[in-house]
Amino acid sequence: MIARKVMLLGEIGVGKSSLARRLVFDKFEFDYKPTIGVDVYRYEVPDAPPRPQMTLIVWDTDGNFGDAIFRHVYMKEAAAALIIGDLSRPPTLDCMAKLGAGFTEMFPGRHIGYIVNKTDLMPNPEAVPLPSELTRPGISLLRTSAKSGDNVQDAFVDAAASIARRGL
Amino acid sequence: MSKMPSSTPPPPLPAVGSETTRANRFPPSAGGSPRDLAAALAEASNLVAGFGAFGLVWLDRDLNATRRYGRLVDFVELAAPITKSVLALIGLEDEIRALPQKKGRILELPAVGVGTPDGDTQRLNFSIFWQPGQGAFLVLIYRVASQTELEMELSRQIRARLMAEAATTAKSKELARANADLASFAEIISHDLKAPVRHMRNLARELAADRSVPIDRELRDRLTEIEFQAKRMSHMLTALLDYSSLGRKYEAIKEIDSQALIDSIVQSLPQSGIDVCRSGDWPKLSTLATPLDLVLRNLIDNALKHHDRPDGAITVHCSDQPQSLVITIADDGPGIDAKHHQTVFLPFRTLHQSTVHQGAGMGLAMVKKTVEAAGGSISLVSDPTQTRGTKFVVQWPKCILT
Repeated sequence: MIARKVMLLGEIGVGKSSLARRLVFDKFEFDYKPTIGVDVYRYEVPDAPPRPQMTLIVWDTDGNFGDAIFRHVYMKEAAAALIIGDLSRPPTLDCMAKLGAGFTEMFPGRHIGYIVNKTDLMPNPEAVPLPSELTRPGISLLRTSAKSGDNVQDAFVDAAASIARRGL
Repeated sequence: MSKMPSSTPPPPLPAVGSETTRANRFPPSAGGSPRDLAAALAEASNLVAGFGAFGLVWLDRDLNATRRYGRLVDFVELAAPITKSVLALIGLEDEIRALPQKKGRILELPAVGVGTPDGDTQRLNFSIFWQPGQGAFLVLIYRVASQTELEMELSRQIRARLMAEAATTAKSKELARANADLASFAEIISHDLKAPVRHMRNLARELAADRSVPIDRELRDRLTEIEFQAKRMSHMLTALLDYSSLGRKYEAIKEIDSQALIDSIVQSLPQSGIDVCRSGDWPKLSTLATPLDLVLRNLIDNALKHHDRPDGAITVHCSDQPQSLVITIADDGPGIDAKHHQTVFLPFRTLHQSTVHQGAGMGLAMVKKTVEAAGGSISLVSDPTQTRGTKFVVQWPKCILT
């Protein structure tokens, strides 16, 4: 069984824990409790030839880390980062671009998936403008809702596929 | 799809003092401490461990858990890789194995969430170090103190931060919209009003020149006055248009020689009996060249224009400070009464009749706006009740705000 480490990064309150809990436990908690430190989850992605079955070790980090997370021991051996922003809070989307640049610099060649979360809060999520760094060709970007579950599983399955494709 | 919690569900908690937490599982003291002291320490440790405040796990070189101590670590499966019980250690195996190479090195993993038997998550700190005497890795695991209080405080801070962020965003948008409205309003009125004013001026001029219309001297004088006032209004509108666009134009930062700049400004001044002297240190610097030129030119021009004698002196001095240039423009003119020190910087304010001095009264307003847009400041010193003269002091930053 292949196990690979995936980091969830993003500003405080963007829904990292909600996405992880939706993925792993298929539930959404309305009571917001900030993460202190890290929570680690295991998620099995079934095989989809040629990609083998893969265990994702999902690290749900404390949003207070900011850029300092890249220098933390938590990041060791990370194969991918899912960088999350809150569609209803534009500053968190700008932060996504910064975190993406930081991750690429520290961990070149690893997968980065950008997740724009909380689509359920916006009447027309596709119309919300995103920073240009997130809309460049070749960028992996998904709009998700941890509340409804939309696209949540796809984000992690895409990460597993990219990890396998890159031979990480 | 199998979905698993963050750690293997721990076995039921043993009672305090049961086999898993007995003192005989505590490692023997490495030093030569008196027997009673070692016993007391072991007893104290037992008590603390019994409350579930900390626990110890020993790992062999293959990172299998071989022993554990304290009810807090009952979730750790023995004779199995530690990564099976603590997912957070997956990927850190090489880091742990490298610990013996660096004496005294400790691998710290703060505030890792670990599942409890009742399905909740407890937050634990992990400190891993190498024990050469035992040939084993020791994992010290202890609770994050006052977890609930920490969470409550963090929640409070985050709520405050989110609310402040939302308020700032809303205010920024509102301010940007208001600024845009104001700027476009100023542009529209100044631009659109210029056409009818020009038309009025032309009509007055044409009427005065029309020989087919009988015009007496008084009417001709009034038409001339209309033309003059229309021309004046046109100048004011042009100045307003320039003023409204200040600070919004993209200005390039260039490498300039401020000595050459002030020399060129002084050389371009009209000949008069008023001497303009330069003094101080005028360095080379990277700055907004055109705005600095505008500021210096307007201040010197202002001093010349409002001088009340045919001869006099204006001194332009520059002091090269670490963070800014401090430029003073001092004249020996009539001075500015204290009650006008603030109003002279307002648009369309002039202390003289418009017929005496040409200009729309926008010079100092544009200077102030330009200096502040660059991140600097301007002030004036003058007390005509004591002595003649006015001194403007400009702090022009070397590091330009963009």
